[in-house]
Amino acid sequence: MDKSKMTEMFFGPNHPGVPGNYGINYYYEGDTVIEAEPNAGHLHRGFEKLMEEREWIKNTPLVCRICVMEPDINEMVYAMGYEAIGEIEVPERAKYIRSIILELARIQAHIFSIGGNCGAIGLYTAMQWGVLARDYILDIFEEITGGRVYHIYIRPGGVRHDIKDETFKKILDLLDDLENNRLPDVQKLIFENPTAQKRWKDTAILNQEDALRLGVTGPSLRATGLDHDVRKLMPYGAYDKVDFDVPVGHNSDAWTRMKLKRDEIFQSIKIIRQLINNIPDGPVTVDLGNALKYKIPKGEAYVKVESARGEYGYYMVSDGGLKPYRVHVRGTSTPLGLYGVEALLPGTRIEDVPVWAHSLGICPPEFDR
Amino acid sequence: MRNEKELIEFIKEKLNPLKINKLRKNNVVVQLNNSELVSGLNFLKSQSYSHLATISCVDWIEDNEFELVYHLFSYQDKINLSVKTRIDREKSKFVTIKNLWKVASYYERDIHDFFGVEFEGNDNMEELILENWNELPPMRKDFKTREYVDQKFDWRQYHGQE
Repeated sequence: MDKSKMTEMFFGPNHPGVPGNYGINYYYEGDTVIEAEPNAGHLHRGFEKLMEEREWIKNTPLVCRICVMEPDINEMVYAMGYEAIGEIEVPERAKYIRSIILELARIQAHIFSIGGNCGAIGLYTAMQWGVLARDYILDIFEEITGGRVYHIYIRPGGVRHDIKDETFKKILDLLDDLENNRLPDVQKLIFENPTAQKRWKDTAILNQEDALRLGVTGPSLRATGLDHDVRKLMPYGAYDKVDFDVPVGHNSDAWTRMKLKRDEIFQSIKIIRQLINNIPDGPVTVDLGNALKYKIPKGEAYVKVESARGEYGYYMVSDGGLKPYRVHVRGTSTPLGLYGVEALLPGTRIEDVPVWAHSLGICPPEFDR
Repeated sequence: MRNEKELIEFIKEKLNPLKINKLRKNNVVVQLNNSELVSGLNFLKSQSYSHLATISCVDWIEDNEFELVYHLFSYQDKINLSVKTRIDREKSKFVTIKNLWKVASYYERDIHDFFGVEFEGNDNMEELILENWNELPPMRKDFKTREYVDQKFDWRQYHGQE
């Protein structure tokens, strides 16, 4: 390849179109990317090393900080790993509450992501509306847990404390408001918007073969016609007790992924309603003894959950001590953010690079953890 | 579609595992000889275990070994299969599986950064996350964070506002 005819461009690590401090270095000719390389490492905080030096419980406030968009997902998968190794059975009510929290988290992540994608194509009003709609959900989180973004609520053995009936009522009201006011607005402002349609249709295509080859999951895989969802494949929490559909698209482009995210919000609303109406009474956590002396036998587990963007996995190893021996985080966008940039970005137009990164859900903190 | 028991029988018959057991529902772990790992993964890939979630590395310093764990998943069987192998910690060399899954080249680079394991056949072993790192690879158990910080940086007294 003759690089003398091409120009090198640094996209990021500090750029409004980049989702986080992460860069893509690419060569372009005309306005098409010819060769690209990920430039990670600007966000490295050494979470995995740090986790090996802290007691089991002390990692709960740490893991939620791995990815800003998915704090609850990280707490859940960490707790699941601990429970899997220690063979701890979580009470029914805690399973329901966890699923409610995770679905609320999915709605806020999807709304924020749709808004963020609008930011990537210059529709800043829609972006702010997305942030606003998300804020109403954060209010609920604040009421339940005391924190808006990081909740530290799901912990090994169950959840931190019970949710009051009034709060459940507030959640149901919020869902009604979302369904009747916020989402129709989103529909009109974003999905019936000619700019959004023109920019998203046939942009950032990720076909089925590539998605499977790379190990891509979540909406990006489902936009290619497969209905793989961890909630259905390997049910966790209370997902085996609710009835919901997994939306599937077929065009593999950014537009399809956005539509899937919108449809998934409606499914999440359906799930939360079922969970709240059928929630059993009982304890919300098992007694694991002194929090600083949590101990589980020697063992290992690869656990995963379906985050808003796909499979979020942890590989956890215990040597029977007070601290984890090893925790390895498999963030959802790891395959796309690293190898995907090199393999799939070439051929994209420069203006579509932010659309590519946002619509595929690249979240740098999770592979640069 | 196989369940865990059938899968274990199948692997025992076709491959030559050192150890294989069902950890829990949907979770099977198999340990292979390191000379048989690549062919084993190739075989499993053809048997619907084509989703490579990630590659983990664990430093078992007491055994003087690194353990490489390849997390596979089958959409047909719905089983997570962790394929493991152990390599010598002093040599810390293994072969790449880039030819089976190209995406693995980046996972291997990540392990090279943090554990110092070389993967033969992977021609791009540049630093991915770290930058200008000349010390011991930081995720090794004998890398002590506190000592490194004491050595590298000066401690400063902080006097908060009165």
